[in-house]
Amino acid sequence: MFEGAVRKQLDEVLKKYPTKQAALLPALWMVQQNKGWIPDEAMSETAEVLDVTSAYVKGVVTFYTMYHQHPVGENFVQVCTTSPCNLCGAEDVVSALLEATGCAALGETSPDGKFTVIEVECLGACGFATPILVNDDFIEDVTPKKVPEIVGKYRDGKA
Amino acid sequence: MAEDQVTLKIEGVDVTVPRGTTVLEAAKRAGILIPHYCYHPGLPVSGVCRMCLVTVEGAPGLQIACATDATDGQVVSVFDSAASDARQAVLEFLLINHPLDCPICDQAGECELQDYVFQEGRARTRYSDYPKRFSPVEDFGGDVLYVPNRCILCTRCIRFMDHVAEESVLNVSERGDRAFIGIHPDAVLDHPWAGNVIDLCPVGSLISKDFLHKAYAWQLDRTPGICTGCSQGCNITIETRDNSIARLRPRTNEDVNRYFMCDHGRFEYRWMNSGDRIEAPLVAGANGLVATDWSQAIARCAEIVKGVSGKAVALVSPRASCESLYLVHQLLKDFELLSACPVEVVEGEQPLPGVPNLALRSERAPNVEGAARLGHGAEYDKALEAVKDAALVFVLDDGYSQFGDDALSGSENLIYLGTSLPDAARNSSVVFPMSNAAEEDGTYVNRDGRVQRYMQAKTAPGMARPAWWITGALLSEIRGTDAPATAGEVFDRMAASESAFAGLSYETLGTQGAFANKASGAGVGCDS
Repeated sequence: MFEGAVRKQLDEVLKKYPTKQAALLPALWMVQQNKGWIPDEAMSETAEVLDVTSAYVKGVVTFYTMYHQHPVGENFVQVCTTSPCNLCGAEDVVSALLEATGCAALGETSPDGKFTVIEVECLGACGFATPILVNDDFIEDVTPKKVPEIVGKYRDGKA
Repeated sequence: MAEDQVTLKIEGVDVTVPRGTTVLEAAKRAGILIPHYCYHPGLPVSGVCRMCLVTVEGAPGLQIACATDATDGQVVSVFDSAASDARQAVLEFLLINHPLDCPICDQAGECELQDYVFQEGRARTRYSDYPKRFSPVEDFGGDVLYVPNRCILCTRCIRFMDHVAEESVLNVSERGDRAFIGIHPDAVLDHPWAGNVIDLCPVGSLISKDFLHKAYAWQLDRTPGICTGCSQGCNITIETRDNSIARLRPRTNEDVNRYFMCDHGRFEYRWMNSGDRIEAPLVAGANGLVATDWSQAIARCAEIVKGVSGKAVALVSPRASCESLYLVHQLLKDFELLSACPVEVVEGEQPLPGVPNLALRSERAPNVEGAARLGHGAEYDKALEAVKDAALVFVLDDGYSQFGDDALSGSENLIYLGTSLPDAARNSSVVFPMSNAAEEDGTYVNRDGRVQRYMQAKTAPGMARPAWWITGALLSEIRGTDAPATAGEVFDRMAASESAFAGLSYETLGTQGAFANKASGAGVGCDS
């Protein structure tokens, strides 16, 4: 896992911290960016390069919902459904997203492998309900009507 | 007032403790138990359970007693309404997902959750409308089962593995109400000392496969003992149910094993429960061994011992008490005696890294040191060789020796004190049924020279008697001296004649033991 360019990237990150252990979160991001999720073997490799135990890494990975413990679709969609967004119709956005992406349910991956949709707590854009996060892109004021176009773009890789 | 001492008031009780003592430990000294889960004296403090909240006068809010240092003039209250309410709230949180399966839980009766809820919890739940979280039981490996539903996430097990066993395989996985104790998928909880997590667990979450559903805590009788697994001499509690040992657990001794014992030691009760026992004295007749009573067997044996002289061989078990080993020597002191005990040696110690001078030792017997100090050597093979030329062969064995079928053949006068009757002992002149280590009082000397008492935990089967009683009765028959009535009396005699034990008595040994004298001078202690 931590070879070549990724190793270089890790070495850069390590310079910023007083201990190797402190670089665990960024190191796990690197794993996720490269593999799409964090398999058990990758946790062991991360543990080895950072001199911590696999059990410790596993504890951290499972603590944060941002790390995927299972493979997810090419595009990872997070919809805010916390109170203000909920009042503004976030539930309908969720339904529209599920329909447009073809995902059977929240947390499941579409048959074409392109999408996984999950609900998240407040994305910090209550004034622009409903916000969604597609991969690293933040999209505000999403309504059920706008959903098919957004999903289409990402499906075709034009986003 | 010494500089390094502080005096504080806990629940109106003044208590003086060394500076650096926590409020929780200070309270213990004042006789007040502050409820706690994550705190354990053998582990680093983590302060996660919030159960030990107390009111400290002048402090801004409630303080956790496990991580608050006692200071001079501090006034602490444990059972005032603020602290009690806070702890009641902690208990209420813990019970949201904790199952009400106490009737089938191995921890019931010795569960700290049960105890504290009974003591200061709410009478009724306010969460009866909500389903409880459910996760299946997981096999952690070794002797350990994990029941996540019962877990209160105190993290004692994690800290034990991280800081005491120093093999970090456990973690807290997930978070919030989904959190549970996780183990890395490639790891197994098979560290030689891993069983301690079961004792450390304050609830029934980590449980022993070996003890699973064997007994309720309140059905067990508990007796202080010494582990027979190796020469470390860990202090243990023998827990019996219906005269059968159900499990062994560590007994606190800061100088020997602190709060721990190894997994090897935990299973050292099985041989003690063995059913293949001799239950009556036997004497050789025309058609082999015949059962008889004690007085006849003692008389016959005394007759044999008095009738021969010259070379004698004694083969003794390193699990025998100092008392019986001492009397064996007394009994045979007029002979040209070669005495030895077999000691199983397993290469490679299994240390518990977090505790100094604690390991499963290579010498797998509890009284190797005691036997040596009482003149029973280690040249076992030589002693076995000498059996065929000896005028008298005296065996004291509780199944440890595993005699080959012909090991004792050729000895004319074979006196056999044993728990079972191996084929090798079929040609004995007299066989005495002996109690095993769990069935008698006695002392062992550990590898560091610490003399430690163990007490009778169960009754011996049939007519079996402790080896010290048998040898004492023989001595009395042969020499006309008083037979000792108790093991303590034998110990006193030993202390009077053996310099290694001089000045010691059962009273001074107590339950924590005391060191034998370094220089073992005259007496039977030096046969070489």
